[in-house]
Amino acid sequence: MAELSLKHIYKVYPNGTKAVNDFNMEIADKEFIVFVGPSGCGKSTTLRMIAGLEDISAGELTIGENVVNDMEPKDRDIAMVFQNYALYPHMTVFDNVAFGLKIRKIPDVKRDKDGNPILDKNGNQIPCMRHYTKEEINRKVLEAADILGITEYLAKKPKEMSGGQRQRVSLGRAIVRSPKVMLLDEPLSNLDAKLRTQMRSEIAKLHAKLKTTFIYVTHDQVEAMTMGTRIVVMKDGFVQQIDTPKNLYKYPGNKFVAGFIGTPQMNFFEGTLLKTGDEVEISFDYSDAKVKVPYSMMYKAKPSYLDGKTKVYIGLRAEDVSIDPAVVKASDTVIKVKVSHKEELGNQTLLYADINMDGDGYTESSTRIIIETKGYYFAEAGEVIDAALNINNVHLFDKETELSILPRIPEFNYLDCEVAAGKLKFCGIELKLPKAVECADGKYELLIPTDAVAFGGKDAQAEVVDCEDINGRNVAAFELGGRRMFAVTDGSIEKGKAGISFDIKKFSVIKDGETVVERMPEKISLEGKLIKERTVEEKVENGKTVKKKCIKFMLDVAGYKVACPDKTADKLISAMGVKNAFTETLLYECGPYDLKFAEEGICAEVLSVADYGKEKFAVCKIGEETAYVKCDGEEVSTAKLLPEIDKLAIIQKEKHIRII
Amino acid sequence: MTKKKFRSKKAAERGANTAIYIILTIISIVWLFPFFYLVIQSLRGESGAATLYFWPKQWTFDNYIKLFTDTSIYNFPRWYGTTLIISIAVTVIQTAIVLVTSYALSRLRFKMRKPLMNLMLVLGMFPGFMSMTAIYFLLKLFGLTQEMGLVGLILVYVASSCMGYYICKGFFDTIPKSLDEAARIDGASRHTVFIKIILPLAKPIIIYTVLTAFMAPWGEYMFASLMAFGDQSYFNVAVGLKYMLQRETISEYFTRFCAASVIISLPITALFMWLQKYYVQGVTGGSVKG
Repeated sequence: MAELSLKHIYKVYPNGTKAVNDFNMEIADKEFIVFVGPSGCGKSTTLRMIAGLEDISAGELTIGENVVNDMEPKDRDIAMVFQNYALYPHMTVFDNVAFGLKIRKIPDVKRDKDGNPILDKNGNQIPCMRHYTKEEINRKVLEAADILGITEYLAKKPKEMSGGQRQRVSLGRAIVRSPKVMLLDEPLSNLDAKLRTQMRSEIAKLHAKLKTTFIYVTHDQVEAMTMGTRIVVMKDGFVQQIDTPKNLYKYPGNKFVAGFIGTPQMNFFEGTLLKTGDEVEISFDYSDAKVKVPYSMMYKAKPSYLDGKTKVYIGLRAEDVSIDPAVVKASDTVIKVKVSHKEELGNQTLLYADINMDGDGYTESSTRIIIETKGYYFAEAGEVIDAALNINNVHLFDKETELSILPRIPEFNYLDCEVAAGKLKFCGIELKLPKAVECADGKYELLIPTDAVAFGGKDAQAEVVDCEDINGRNVAAFELGGRRMFAVTDGSIEKGKAGISFDIKKFSVIKDGETVVERMPEKISLEGKLIKERTVEEKVENGKTVKKKCIKFMLDVAGYKVACPDKTADKLISAMGVKNAFTETLLYECGPYDLKFAEEGICAEVLSVADYGKEKFAVCKIGEETAYVKCDGEEVSTAKLLPEIDKLAIIQKEKHIRII
Repeated sequence: MTKKKFRSKKAAERGANTAIYIILTIISIVWLFPFFYLVIQSLRGESGAATLYFWPKQWTFDNYIKLFTDTSIYNFPRWYGTTLIISIAVTVIQTAIVLVTSYALSRLRFKMRKPLMNLMLVLGMFPGFMSMTAIYFLLKLFGLTQEMGLVGLILVYVASSCMGYYICKGFFDTIPKSLDEAARIDGASRHTVFIKIILPLAKPIIIYTVLTAFMAPWGEYMFASLMAFGDQSYFNVAVGLKYMLQRETISEYFTRFCAASVIISLPITALFMWLQKYYVQGVTGGSVKG
């Protein structure tokens, strides 16, 4: 019964292998979280770090209110179920379950023979630690055994039991202590298929009954989809996506998640997108197939994808393709496919076909298409038939990064705009351009980041049509001059008319693929090191001057030394190791508000002052980097900049690990 | 059509088995004969060292009785007692050390673990007498020779016991690590895990360790003879028995020597017979992974 918080968790092995990279997650109380991914993706390592069986290389793990990075497993108040059961073979089932209770001590007060508390002189009870009594152990074990239906096996040894029974005992051993968090490491992988399905629902039932936080590791996506309230998909040590099963299925963030979740696997094709007027034409490579969709579906996509040249992956699930004559007749998006073979599953038939008339439909290629049909379908191999695509459910991914080009949380709004007489016109509104943004008159493309829109301003009146909470971030969709735009906001926005304002310093203006006005950089990185300084302090104690040796930690930020808070130094040293902590190069990420003008600080050359109307920023050159620092508009040539250490992100440069 | 004749498989097996058993019998006789000879000689009534005949003319138990009653020249009961004390002490201490070392090497990952393991293996290969003189003088410096030789010997025998970690570690490696992990999550410290989980599962290897630990000092000669430095009241049995066979006393004491040898073999035989089934299990169980 506790929340968990994982902040920038890394696992780096001594040989340099990174098993887990920058794992971030907040787990609420009573959630059922599933870590899923192919073997070697770091899911078990993450679980073992939560359990305390593996050290955390960098980052912060909190269970309840305690940071538990350095806590022994036994003090974390967690329970774990292992894939191979890990029952104590020399003990009976009862002793196995009772083991944790027998060795644990619980807080109590001192009592006399009759069980009444003994009071001290002031009449207070005297706290002490005691073991569980036999009756308590008996009662708790029987309760747990009853829940799991293993009461009749209590006197048996583990080797006399079947796999399913053993895993039940293992579960019993975990629940008997009523832990804060239950960790399950592929608990069903050693069971046969039928037992697995049965145990799956029993674990779900157990979760409903115990009302504890569950974290469950599996490589089986079906297990993940059926059990989890939220699923973490991992690959190669990186978190791919964290979401509810439904959202993972409907809005996969990248090609890997799209292919991993759902059976049969999603069909992937290669192709291009071409925008012509209000329509976008999707053409499939290695085939003549082309379909047209309205542009409104692609508002979230970067315009560069819609040029008819950039290759994308087109993903469609088997159930979004239909060969039902009625559906085909009603559909505008029909392509021709050549049937190759089929798999009959009883209630449905999976039809394997190819959109390339020369393809064979057997190998997994970018032209094969799997079609889900109801009941039995009789199509001859080699037959060419019409298939209707439910194009509303199409998923598009970048060919290089494999990220969705229609993200759920869009980063930018892509608009057409016009600059005339110092004014920026788009979507029927006009904004006065500040001095810092210089732009010749003409037509441009405009990039408005979704976080550059704030509600409650006076720049324009918009109609909010929708506001969704996506993993704690609110994405509001609004109409402005007939065009739909998106904004990411902190709080929920009510539907209806609302005033909005734009943060012009985040705008980018593009002409013919070249950036004319660049947005103000969000973050810059400065290099530096952690420094240990030995100082001798002189103190006067009892009239004598006593010299005391002290160790002070300093952070070198681009050549300027700042006192490093002990907590920060501790984290840095524990993450990098005492040996390397003072030699490794660190990167400090700082934004425009993290540096301040001061009497002393990093030496910087002020190149100019960017005037954004409401705010002014000094453009400073620090070494090779150009930093924007908020200022009040004074013209100076050099400046001293003081970094605010608590606000900076600190990254170990060589291994690229974010430590703070 | 010619019919090819096959030799019956059963007949072939029988033939092979007969041959194997004949060879085994011969080997057994060769092996057992010295012991058999010893037992026969210990029951001989006539004195004298080697006789030209095999079966004694006079059968008697006197040799055994005199061994314990006639302590005027050679104090066998004292040697026997000394050796027993040393062996038991060494067994207890060595078993504990070996188990603890092996568990640490099997479960903990620390820097220099592999080099340390290799170093111990290599060191263990050097014969013990290499450093014997040096150790003797060191012990003499501490006054742990002769009358205190008992303590000295225990110290010497126990000193290098952790080098015998190899088989025991191999056995621990076969116990799944997830048991340790489960217990640690259940609330056990490493110490509790070792006592309550690992030791009960390690019975075969404990018995193996006990047996080997007992046998080594029980028959040890070289160090014991050096430590006693000629004073026969500090002898252990091996040194004592060798002493019995001096030229002056061999003809009178040879039969008694044989009787003593039989008595010495008794505790080991008894221990071995009792723990036999665990012993075999221990050796194979531990050698699967190593």
